[in-house]
Amino acid sequence: MRVRLIYSPDVVEKPILAEVISKTGLLINILEAKVNAQKGELVVSIPSSGEKLEEAIAIFRRAGVKVEEIKETLKIDREKCTSCGACISPCPTQALQLGSDWTLKYEEEKCVACGTCVNACPFGALTLLEGSEG
Amino acid sequence: MNKEVRRIRSVKEINEKIKRGDAVVLTAEEMIKLAESSGVKAAAKEVDVVTTGTFGAMCSSGVFLNFGHSDPPIKMTKCWLNDVPVYKGLAAVDGYLGAAALSETRGFEYGGGHVIEDLVSGKEIELRAESYGTDCYPRRHVETTITIDDLNQAVLVNPRNCYQRYDAATNSSDRILYTYMGTLLPNYGNVTFTGAGQLNPLCKDWNYETIGIGTRIFLGGGVGYVIGEGTQHNPQSGFGTLMVRGDLKRMNSRYLRGASFYKYGVTLYVGIGIPIPIINERVAKTAALRDDQIIVEIRDYGVPSRPDRRPVIKRVTYADLRSGKVYINGREVPSSSLSSYKMAREIAEVLKKWILEGLFFLTEPVEPLPRKGRLKPLRVRRKEPTVRELMRREVVTAKPDEKVEEAARKLIVKGIDHLPVIAEDGKLVGIVTSWDLARAIAERRRILSEIMTRRVFTAREDETIDVVAWRMTQHNISGMPVVDEEKKVIGIITTNDISKRLVGGRSRL
Repeated sequence: MRVRLIYSPDVVEKPILAEVISKTGLLINILEAKVNAQKGELVVSIPSSGEKLEEAIAIFRRAGVKVEEIKETLKIDREKCTSCGACISPCPTQALQLGSDWTLKYEEEKCVACGTCVNACPFGALTLLEGSEG
Repeated sequence: MNKEVRRIRSVKEINEKIKRGDAVVLTAEEMIKLAESSGVKAAAKEVDVVTTGTFGAMCSSGVFLNFGHSDPPIKMTKCWLNDVPVYKGLAAVDGYLGAAALSETRGFEYGGGHVIEDLVSGKEIELRAESYGTDCYPRRHVETTITIDDLNQAVLVNPRNCYQRYDAATNSSDRILYTYMGTLLPNYGNVTFTGAGQLNPLCKDWNYETIGIGTRIFLGGGVGYVIGEGTQHNPQSGFGTLMVRGDLKRMNSRYLRGASFYKYGVTLYVGIGIPIPIINERVAKTAALRDDQIIVEIRDYGVPSRPDRRPVIKRVTYADLRSGKVYINGREVPSSSLSSYKMAREIAEVLKKWILEGLFFLTEPVEPLPRKGRLKPLRVRRKEPTVRELMRREVVTAKPDEKVEEAARKLIVKGIDHLPVIAEDGKLVGIVTSWDLARAIAERRRILSEIMTRRVFTAREDETIDVVAWRMTQHNISGMPVVDEEKKVIGIITTNDISKRLVGGRSRL
């Protein structure tokens, strides 16, 4: 699951992510980080589900971090998309593929919101959704 | 090719069958299946027409426009549509809008290809034109809006479309490249290719036996014609091209799409479908060619040479490329297309439908396409300065474990700004500039390897100064080590060296 972690000024300097990793043993992957003295915002991928995931989220929340699940990262404008494939091989995580009917398919779970595909699209059909820019 | 093969049917006979409604028409994909199950001989007997399709970026496209005369009239010498310049070296109100022309206000975001799409969609377009004024054309300026319906003519005339096949692209360099072949990741990170392969019109009539001047085609959703071989037609290497024309007013923006290639430019995606009359078995055989029988070379765009000089990394087929991965140096590399196979299939289907419904008849070419001819490069006869002539050969270098102070001393004593860092084996591993050293001293760093830039921009001695200067500007640097093929430093070139020579006068270079 991918979540956005929002750190308030009071907790921005605490090693909360490290605490979650050491307590849960989960290999949490940072996809994006925007941190300054006032505020911190991380987008991370937590490779887990069920209890373990809930435990991780609970630790974040106890420490004063706001946790939001990210459901959608990339928007494909199907009117503009021609399924040409220009976005496919530049994608570092193979989140974009052609289906058996040669239509562009997108796997949300694989996307790390890096934005490479957005530039690669000749038709401006791809946009990263608000707040998920890499 | 000279060997006569028995004619099975003529175009005239096919057209009579279309009229009667009993012509057998297959798409190229269906033809492949039939030839596989029944053999080419039987397929040739059964099938009258095979339809093809392709939908890809075709930069050599554009539209002839006639705007009509205003009152008072103007002899337009400069003209823009939505701020995209229109070629005005024609009569007063004739112009040619090229697909690759960039908007003067929006850059890579919008261009000729987009204007063409917007015209076909019926959108309003800003027209602006200037002139010097004459006795017969007194007006010197005009600004208005137009739609495609206001134009007397809008004729798509594309000097080069529909490549028979096209080399694929990869990138050996350590930097991401943005090219007309799309985004190429560093270190052979991906492969991009273009062309519809087994659906591609010129692949399906490999010997140009049925496609020629006068061939009626599907063009941009309307009807068009082949008006000759395209520019850069290179039949002897299997890179034939077509020049086509069609009435833009009857086209459909689904099959004509403006496109932008990031940091490269704008273009037009054009949909073309050509019917192949199965006049003999040889044509049937090429119409049944499969992706795995069409060879494509993967070339290295990391080497900034002209297209046919870029090193061939591997020979593969369209089937390999379309599988989504190819192997380079034993490593799996993702591959993807730039042209839409989905749209190519759709076009072959639409054309098939038109023929079956008796809306589209085939034509016999007035003249065949040339089967001979090769591509010539542009020979640059004026001598251009190269790195070899301007580089300094005595290069002061340092070792990675050298102390910062020592390196700083070297720069001061020699009066230089760039210090390439060389490993034991003589290979370039980094670079340090006077700015890096100043910062290192301020930050109390000690060893060069801690502070050096490891991803070094380099030049080769046979590169032109023009190319090298562009690279330095692009990356905002003032000097580059010159390296040989083994990454050993053989010289250094700086903006200082270049500007000194330029001050001396271009004629001396």
